[in-house]
This record gives sequence, structure tokens and C-alpha cells, in this order.
Amino acid sequence: MKRRRSLFLHLNQLRLLAKKFALVILFLAALILMLLNKNHSLILEQTTGVATKMTAPVVSVLVVPAKLLSRVYDYFSELKRIKSDNRALRAENERLRILQDKYNALEIENKLLSNLLNYVPLPQAGFVSAKVVVEESNAFAHSMVAYVDNQRVEKGDVVLSDSGVIGRVDKVMDTYAKIILITDINSKIPVMVEDSRIRGVLSGDNTMMPKLVFIPLNAEINIGDRIVTSGVSGVFPAGLPVGQVVAVSKTEIKVKPFTSLEQIEYVKIVRYGLGGLINQREKTDE
Amino acid sequence: MNESLNENIVSSLQKSLPLLSSVIILLLAYIPLNVTFLNNIRPDLGLICVYFWVLHRPDLFSLVSIVVLGLLDMSVSSALPGAALFAYLTMYVLLYNTQRLFNAKPFVVIWYGFMALSLATILIKWLVVSIYYGRFLPISMLMFGYLIGVALYPLVSAVLAFVQNKFIQDEGL
Repeated sequence: MKRRRSLFLHLNQLRLLAKKFALVILFLAALILMLLNKNHSLILEQTTGVATKMTAPVVSVLVVPAKLLSRVYDYFSELKRIKSDNRALRAENERLRILQDKYNALEIENKLLSNLLNYVPLPQAGFVSAKVVVEESNAFAHSMVAYVDNQRVEKGDVVLSDSGVIGRVDKVMDTYAKIILITDINSKIPVMVEDSRIRGVLSGDNTMMPKLVFIPLNAEINIGDRIVTSGVSGVFPAGLPVGQVVAVSKTEIKVKPFTSLEQIEYVKIVRYGLGGLINQREKTDE
Repeated sequence: MNESLNENIVSSLQKSLPLLSSVIILLLAYIPLNVTFLNNIRPDLGLICVYFWVLHRPDLFSLVSIVVLGLLDMSVSSALPGAALFAYLTMYVLLYNTQRLFNAKPFVVIWYGFMALSLATILIKWLVVSIYYGRFLPISMLMFGYLIGVALYPLVSAVLAFVQNKFIQDEGL
């Protein structure tokens, strides 16, 4: 009897020891995963890619009841706005018609001048419209997953909303694409001030307003300045609208994206075929 | 023969319910909401699940469940890989060492316990991730997310308690 009890105690102690050991191993595993990310590990990317492919459909099913509720709310709140929106849209339509005439004339002029200069145009852009199925926005990451349904999307493709750049494709898993938003801490976009052409980098910091960094010390940047992509590094083509300067201080310049990043249902993933640094880095990795 | 097979299936399903319910609740946090305020301060619902199940049913929510939940979060999220797993393990360790303070206590005490332990957990996670990136992540968003998580605890724990009471039977009772 005594022997059996002591054996039981030994087993219990062993079990506790094994549990503590397992905990230490798991903590180490978590830290190793973080460090692997620093080296852009291919295995890690592929594993998370497969897992996302499996979980994204589950989230898109869970979305249905939540979407129904929000649709009902939206319907009633939008009824109020429709009348005033209609009036504003008519006025805008008139203005846009005049602009379209001007645009047509400029396009013809541009084509003629390009021919004269023997200008090599940028490759034609192809795009895919995709529905957002997963959203993430907190202190640790700003991203989304979009359903692309086996269409041709590649890492580094530009992601746009109706008002401007919102991010870039980070991972592609057959039917889903993981998008890093411009507010994410890992996002760095070469940009410039539209009027003054001052170049810099728009760096996300997991807040809703990314910072403008690497700008010349004597650069004069004012609140209200429009920020567009500069095309440097070849990932994003030049001239795409990004946001507007909303705060300028001695230490930082904050930019508010043109698009309200938290209210996006569909995105446009555009392939400019520019290649750029992302593809070059991948080739070097291989 | 068939009956015992059925019983085995039902029993293993019941045993996996804590993990399954946690997976569903974790994924709920990633649903696109189109609501400006809520979208920017998403709470860590996985942390609530870990706290609830480790406190109430540690026998059915082992380290394996925590690893599965952490890896699942890693696959959906774009946050630093391993950060979620690290947070869940931290919560597990903290709760494991303080469990006797909350066992068989009124709900309010358990809620206060969640407030304290989840604050410690997210601050540790915030520190580790900040060290990784070499700069501090926005603390305001972190705190808002934390407060929303604390506010949601009664609701989420009510759902989990319902799962526990309705579908999980105690063996030997």
C-alpha cells in the first residue's frame, strides 16, 4: 500500500515536471516563430498560408448573421441620406461631364506628344475585384484577407479602394489573399507630396494615421497637402492617391488615408507588373 | 459494440467542445464589421476563452488546446507570428499560479481576475512585440481593446458557460 502511494507520488511529480518542461519548450517555440519571421522564412509563410486558406471560409460563414444585422441598420440609416446624396451627385455629375471632355482632349494630346518623344509607356494594369472576408485592426496588426477566387494575384500587388491606395498583397493562397494595410507597422510606401514633389516614405505604426518619414530636413510640408505614391522602388506606380497631411510637428508628420480603412467591403487588387524590390528580394531568397 | 462506439464519439466531441467553441469565438473577432469605432479596437477574444476554460475546465483545455488556438490566431492574423501563442501561454502560466484565488468564487471576483491577468498578459505581449519591432506599438489602441475585452467578458463567458452546462457532462458524476 505504502509502495503504491509512493509510486503514485512519483508519477505525479514526473507529470508536473513534464508539464513545466513542455511550457518552457512552448514559450521557446513562440519566440522562435517570432525570430523566424525576421528572416522571412518560406516554411513559416507556407504553413500560415495553408492555415489561412482553411480558416478564411469559416470566418466568411460566420460573417452572414453579423452582416444581416448591420445591413438592416444600414438600410434605415441610409434612407435619410439618399435625398441629399442624390442632389449632390447630380451636381457632381455635371461637373464630371465637363472634366471628361477635358480629359479626352488631354489624352489625345498626350498620345500625340508621346509618339513625338518615342516615350515607352508603363505596362497595362490588370485588376481583380475582391471581397473582404477577414479584417484585423488592433495595436498589433492592420490587415485583411480578401477572396480572390483563383484569379491571378501576386505578392506585392497594389490594393486600392475607390479613393486611393490602401495596402499591398502580402501572401496569396489560391482563393485568398492576405493584404497588409498602409497603417500596419510592416508597411512602408515610397510617397511624395503631390504639389511640391518632395519625396519620403509613408510608414505605418499600427495607428489609424501613418507617419511620413525620410523627408528632407528643410522640406516644407503643410496640413492639407495631398500625398501620392512616388513610384520609387517599383512596387507602386507613381501618382496613386494615398492620403492627406493632417498634423505637422517637429517630431512627426501624420497622414490620414483618403480611404476609411475600417469600412471597406470590396477592394481592387491591381497588377501593374512593375516587379520592384519585393520580387527582387524573393529571387535573392531563392 | 455500436453503442459503445457512439458513446465514444459523443464523449470525444464533448471533450473537444472547449477548443471548438474557442475557435469559433476567436474567429468572430475577425469578422468585417464596417463600424469605424469597433473595427479599430478589436478585443482579444481568444484570451477570454483561454481564461475561462483553464479556470473552469483545465482537464478539457490542456496546453495542446492553447497551442492549437495560438497557431490558428497566427494563421488568420497578420500580427507577429508566435505573439498570440506567447500571450495565451502567458495567460496560462499566470492563471495556473493564481487559480486558487478564483476557484469557486463569485462571478465578480473571476471578472476582476480576468481584468488583472489579461492586463498583465497584453502588456507583456505588447512589450515583447515592441522589442521585436524596436519601437513602441500604440498603447491607446491596446488599452481600448483591453477595455472592450473586459466589457465583453461577461457576455463571452455566459456563452461558454452555456456550452459547458448544456453540452459537457462531468464524468463520474
